[in-house]
Amino acid sequence: MGIDEKFTAIRKGLLEFLVLKIIAAEKVYVADILAQLSRTEFSTQEGTLYPLLSKMRREGLVDYEWKESDAGPPRKYYELTAKGREQLRDTLDYWGRISGNVKNLGQK
Amino acid sequence: MNKVITINLGGTAYQLEEAGYDALRAYLETAATRLQGNPDRDEILSDIEQAIGEKFRARLGSYKTVIVTKEVTAALAEMGPIEDDSAAEESAGAEQKTHAAPEGFAAASASDDTPRRLYRVSEGEMLHGVCNGLAAYFGFDPTFVRIGFVLLTIFWGMGILVYFAMVIIVPRAVSPEQKAAAYGTPFRAQEFIRRAKAGYYESAKAFPDRHARREWKRRFKEEMRGWRASFRREMRMHAASAWGPPAGGPGIGLTLPLLSALQGAISILWLCAIVSVVATGTLFGAALPVSVPVWLVVVVLILAFGILKWPIKAARRACYYGWGGTGSAWRLVLLVEAMVWLALLGILLSLMCRFLPQLLDAARNLPGVIHEAVNNIRDWWKTA
Repeated sequence: MGIDEKFTAIRKGLLEFLVLKIIAAEKVYVADILAQLSRTEFSTQEGTLYPLLSKMRREGLVDYEWKESDAGPPRKYYELTAKGREQLRDTLDYWGRISGNVKNLGQK
Repeated sequence: MNKVITINLGGTAYQLEEAGYDALRAYLETAATRLQGNPDRDEILSDIEQAIGEKFRARLGSYKTVIVTKEVTAALAEMGPIEDDSAAEESAGAEQKTHAAPEGFAAASASDDTPRRLYRVSEGEMLHGVCNGLAAYFGFDPTFVRIGFVLLTIFWGMGILVYFAMVIIVPRAVSPEQKAAAYGTPFRAQEFIRRAKAGYYESAKAFPDRHARREWKRRFKEEMRGWRASFRREMRMHAASAWGPPAGGPGIGLTLPLLSALQGAISILWLCAIVSVVATGTLFGAALPVSVPVWLVVVVLILAFGILKWPIKAARRACYYGWGGTGSAWRLVLLVEAMVWLALLGILLSLMCRFLPQLLDAARNLPGVIHEAVNNIRDWWKTA
């Protein structure tokens, strides 16, 4: 079992967190999110991202607005809601604790 | 010339080739089933349609107005399978969440729209996962594939050669995506077989009534059987004297292995020819006509090999019966031949390793070429 494979479930679970982080920085549309993720281990596809975003919207973490585009029909630009911002803060805290533990455990 | 179908994706019209349209419809249908029970299903579907439309637009130009099938499949591959676990999560509750990883994997391996590719599959493998991978690709039980390989090895000596060639050529499915692709199904071998069968029954139905149909089938089978029996009898009775070793000659002890070696040499030459055609697009350096697709050349080579092999096989049989052998001992001869085969194979492999390391590189490029050939045949099948 390769390292990549062992982390499949973790990558999948972290995707929502990363999407929150990306959307927090600026209003983006799906292709932007995919482009940013594609440079990392978290590279994913529309088939995964659209259902995820719709779930996040249902949970009230993100919202979108339609914006005209110069090439083609209007696009959905996503932004964080207040609840999403709060969740991102909590997750960042939690992640900080986890990565601290990963770093420190087992060291003398 | 292919028929074009105009479709509407998110309010814009696109023109697709018919086969591409089928692929797109299959993708969207799978997406719709996957999203069953998701409250935002319609919205996600329209988002996906629009995203596909955007990918299509990027492939069009002012003089290029039609999306060809290859571009549709490429766009769909970029989209990736619809993975929606929110519905399952909400209904199944906390218990399943602890098993998220295996569940996710099962979903990936069962996914219907990842392009299916030939990989060696390690889960449940016995040697190197070749049979397992083939079974995944064609949707058979791996045990049958293994039995097939063993039978091929015993009666022909070929199974083991094919097996180790595939160990070298076929990549191992390592990442979860590759594993999913090993089982994925947009191009279904079963579908191919189903269509072939449907065609067969269709033509069978053309017979006026069932009785005549059965009668025709029976006669056809009988004729085939009779032809084979008479061929064998012919071999035993007459051909022995015509093709067999002259009386007082070196006899079966020498002639049979010689003939086997000859057949083996031809087989190896044939394999090299196929490798050369597939890997470099030339037949031992001689360029092929541009209009002839590679897969057609391979088919012709296979036919030519069959035709070339036949007289040697007949001569070997004749030689054997001339020596006074019986039907049951023939299997033993085949087994001996398998040994000769293996020896030749060993020599070939050692030569290959010593003199032609670049052959291995060519072999590594094979899967892509094979895939292209499969795609070509599929396109042809769909448009035909």
